[in-house]
Amino acid sequence: MMANKNQQVIRSILVYFAAVLINLIITVPLFFLRERLNTSTIALIYLLPVLLSTVFWGLLPGLLTGLTAFFLFNYFFIVPYYTLFVHKAEDITVLLIFFLVAFLISQLVGRVQKNLSLATTREIQTTRLYEFNLALTHAGTLQEVAHVIANHIKEAFQAQYVMVDAVLNSETGCHDHIPADGAPPAGKPVIVMALQTPRAFLGEVHIWREESRLDVFEEQMLHTFTSQGALALERIELAQSETRTRVLEESDRMKSALLSSVSHELRTPLSTIKAAVTSILSGEVEWGSEAAQDLLSAVDEETDQLNRLVGNLLDMSRIEAGALNPEINWNELSEIVESALHHLRHELDGYTVTLDLPDNLPLIPVDFMQIERVFTNLFSNSAKYASPGTEIQVNARVQNGQTVLIQVNNQGPPIPEDHLERIFDKFYRITNAARVTGTGLGLSICKGIIEAHGGKIWAENLPGRFAFNFSLPLTRKGKPQAAVESET
Amino acid sequence: MISAQPHILVIDDEPQILRALRNILGAKHFRVSTASRGEDGLAMAAANPPDLIILDLGLPDIDGFTVCSRLREWTHIPIIVLSVREGERDKVRALDEGADDYLVKPFGIEELLARIRVALRHTVQSQGNPEAVISAGDLIIDLTSHVVTRAGEEVKLTATEFKLLAYLAQNAGRVLTHQSILNKVWGIEYIDNVEYLRVFMSQLRKKLEADPRHPRHLIGEPGVGYRFTLGE
Repeated sequence: MMANKNQQVIRSILVYFAAVLINLIITVPLFFLRERLNTSTIALIYLLPVLLSTVFWGLLPGLLTGLTAFFLFNYFFIVPYYTLFVHKAEDITVLLIFFLVAFLISQLVGRVQKNLSLATTREIQTTRLYEFNLALTHAGTLQEVAHVIANHIKEAFQAQYVMVDAVLNSETGCHDHIPADGAPPAGKPVIVMALQTPRAFLGEVHIWREESRLDVFEEQMLHTFTSQGALALERIELAQSETRTRVLEESDRMKSALLSSVSHELRTPLSTIKAAVTSILSGEVEWGSEAAQDLLSAVDEETDQLNRLVGNLLDMSRIEAGALNPEINWNELSEIVESALHHLRHELDGYTVTLDLPDNLPLIPVDFMQIERVFTNLFSNSAKYASPGTEIQVNARVQNGQTVLIQVNNQGPPIPEDHLERIFDKFYRITNAARVTGTGLGLSICKGIIEAHGGKIWAENLPGRFAFNFSLPLTRKGKPQAAVESET
Repeated sequence: MISAQPHILVIDDEPQILRALRNILGAKHFRVSTASRGEDGLAMAAANPPDLIILDLGLPDIDGFTVCSRLREWTHIPIIVLSVREGERDKVRALDEGADDYLVKPFGIEELLARIRVALRHTVQSQGNPEAVISAGDLIIDLTSHVVTRAGEEVKLTATEFKLLAYLAQNAGRVLTHQSILNKVWGIEYIDNVEYLRVFMSQLRKKLEADPRHPRHLIGEPGVGYRFTLGE
């Protein structure tokens, strides 16, 4: 960086030196032709280096050439020679006109040159701004906007290091710096610019670079960059808060649907329990009688029902929070199914449950409790829609050695084909809610659990039956179950 | 030895649970004392050691795991954990901290009474000589001669199968975690190979259970481990 600056100084010294030299070069031949040419012609020839110098090197070198030409002309070509005195009035006129013309030429040409370089600067500026705006419209997050700002400012201002810091509100903000893997250079940033919109101050851009001063154009450009950048940040923040509001509204709607269905589901068993217990407490039903025994069994069953409901609600909130985290271990499918059947023995009383699980079924890598919950929900759902006295079947088979395909089917009514996918949605129910009880959470929980295990769940209508199918991978951490050395 | 009226200390911060347990256990002729904070429970256990402790995991001052491990610093009093936490991790952790059993709330009182009986009997056993012959239903397991008979007929078991069965039967009624069984039967390097346990358990059930799908003695505790029940 320092080397660059030195080069620039050396270059401008060379230019001024050349501006003088070009006059000396032209003076030599003129000097020998001095007697043959008249002073006006010599003055005209001297205008040439002034013109060239201005065109090639700019206004100031041009003026310098004009000035040296003026003195050389006077010294060598105006009588008396080798003095700066002028005797003839005619010569004074020529000299004055020469000086005026040289001055005007350098001024005019210089201005054209300056306009040209100005136009070029403007063009570069416009291109930079255009690219910057284009990049901003493609940025979709605060972080991306911060990156675009830092990146473009670094390029446009030849900065060594640019840091963008913005705080939109108490929760969101962004930070970026370029180069991404570097630490800020020692010392304070040379330029600090606010990211400001008409509404608020959002943050600052810190720039470290060699040249500490900004010229007029750079200052203009930096202003445009920062205000455009600040607007982009604000636009994204507004869009995000709008999305948040919409999500909140949606989850509010879901919450009230959940609350109404849950309170209904809670009150039903609670009223059974309350009725049974109060009738026994009051002495209406004799303690120890068959009626009392029956009422107490109802209380027992209803508490199990309540407990399952709480389990489902917890699962749902875990699924929603993405915190299901199945604890995968090698398990026997039949053990899981039996455990689910045991928990639902009251509810499934009156149904025939047939298990068709091959003896040679391998162990499956699953979270026991979660897959048991899947079966509990599928059995419970089957009992709700198929009438008592019918059969519920469970079967399983290994599919091309990679996955196990499990089916729970019942003799319930078919479901219209276009509803088959939607039954796994939250609160979705195909029949009128009055006849069938439930929170409408069971199947969506099954889906959440199976998907967290890397499997798939779907429903299908079979001839005379309705089936839930799900597949589960037979590999854990990408590996199948290791062979267990057996003994004889 | 246990007095005629075994003394149970219940540490739980739910007044309704304390009330129910005091009534139910009292009716079953247990002497019941209660504490609603962990520190109080520890102090009471030290001042007047009970025969059994029923412990909740969620306590207002220190959590149940801490109570468990601090009790285990000085005593082998059986501890039954009662908790609403049904996650496998919590169960395994409580057992690792030294609890003897774990029951999830809500629970059936019959279940709790059965666990209390097992825990108290285990105390008696560990104070006397371990039994050389264990009988469970129609099974007779002779730990010295390594002979197992079912309904009078000898059942051929492999060495590992016998080792597994013996470890479970010696701890009849108690939950043994997968890790502790794998460590004991196969060795520390197999501690995560639950599939070994599953395969051998399934073989054992086929040999010993009348209905392997509905075992009466070799009971699985989902995600936690296994329990051998005498099936009385």
